[in-house]
Amino acid sequence: MPENERIPAGPIVEAIKTAFRSQRTKPPTSKEPLGWVLSVPDTHQRSVITELEGDSELRLLTCSTEDEANAIAAGLHIGGQEVALIIQHAGLYASVNTLRGVGLDGRVPLFMLVGLLSREPDLAPRNSPRSMVRFAEPLMETFQVPYALLETREDLALIPEYYALSREQSGPTVVFVGRETT
Amino acid sequence: MYPEDVLRAINEVRGNAIVVPTMTAVPAWRTIAPDATSVDCVGFMGGASSLGLGLALAQPGRRVIVLDGDGSLLMQLGSLATVAGAAPPNFTHMLFSNGVYQTSGSQEIPGSGAVNFAGMAEAAGYTFATRIENLEELHIRLPELLSSQGPILAELAVEEAQLTPMTAPGGDPLHVQVSNLRAALTKK
Ligand SMILES: Cc1ncc(C[n+]2csc(CCOP(=O)(O)OP(=O)(O)O)c2C)c(N)n1
Ligand SMILES: [Mg+2]
Repeated sequence: MPENERIPAGPIVEAIKTAFRSQRTKPPTSKEPLGWVLSVPDTHQRSVITELEGDSELRLLTCSTEDEANAIAAGLHIGGQEVALIIQHAGLYASVNTLRGVGLDGRVPLFMLVGLLSREPDLAPRNSPRSMVRFAEPLMETFQVPYALLETREDLALIPEYYALSREQSGPTVVFVGRETT
Repeated sequence: MYPEDVLRAINEVRGNAIVVPTMTAVPAWRTIAPDATSVDCVGFMGGASSLGLGLALAQPGRRVIVLDGDGSLLMQLGSLATVAGAAPPNFTHMLFSNGVYQTSGSQEIPGSGAVNFAGMAEAAGYTFATRIENLEELHIRLPELLSSQGPILAELAVEEAQLTPMTAPGGDPLHVQVSNLRAALTKK
């Protein structure tokens, strides 16, 4: 895949920080992170995860399952912290009950960056021959979860936008990462 | 031990801890500690320790006590490693080891009740894990379990509870609990 079709990790991490900063009512204390990123590693966004490992403002916590990530995010949010999830489509499918219980019934704002591994760049995800890619958007529609598709650098504003939307609506929002990050 | 007696004992020494009950601990805790700072894990079985972990990381100045079920923990057993890895010093995991899925009809949990949960927690990297067989021992050890550096797990050998969330429904809906607790924890 040509380099210009991939999204660099640095600006994604910056967009997450912008999202967190715009929601904070006061800057973090010296002991506090700007916010948390919970991840079950996503092949598609692995460069973002690597970038986060070396970041001093954000705290990265790797979870065993996406169910855990959803519930930990709820605890962090209830306790007053900013938090985002980085997972892949398989993880979304694996954790639908927790997404429903925590995000919909609990009305917890859950913001997720979801990698669409194996997505064909010239096809809309819902037209993909791969079930893993094809059902991602319809699943969100069934759950009435707002979502958007990140494909180029120009789309990066979707990250703070959908982060803010999850807080406004008190529920989950998803930005699908449609290209591998670099 | 009767779980209701365990919960009464915890209530006596909990201080300003945040408490996360699940399954049969939910209706009993609601009656025993109606004024406690709590949020139930209902509707996402196995998530109590993760919810508690997020709270513990967000509120390092307060103790978080998770009141977990044995079947629930088995459903998300990997959370032992996640908790241990995050290493929240203010985290106490109380596991109600009744050997059954009481809430869904008291079916035996996998492993015929022979699973060593304290051993699993220790092997996962909890700071300390132990099994408590009787109330006398619980009363003696509770203060330390709620103040020593965590994460700590105490596996409690308990009988079945009087009530379950099925026989005694009620309490605030989850979203009300969430917004009340967030308001309480984030007010200046
Ligand atoms: C994902 C999921 N699968 C199955 C159930 C059905 N279910 C409800 S309560 C319960 C048993 C809970 O057992 P345990 O955690 O040991 O708590 P106890 O009732 O014994 O206190 C089960 C299996 C569920 N709620 N969620
Ligand atoms: Mg049980």
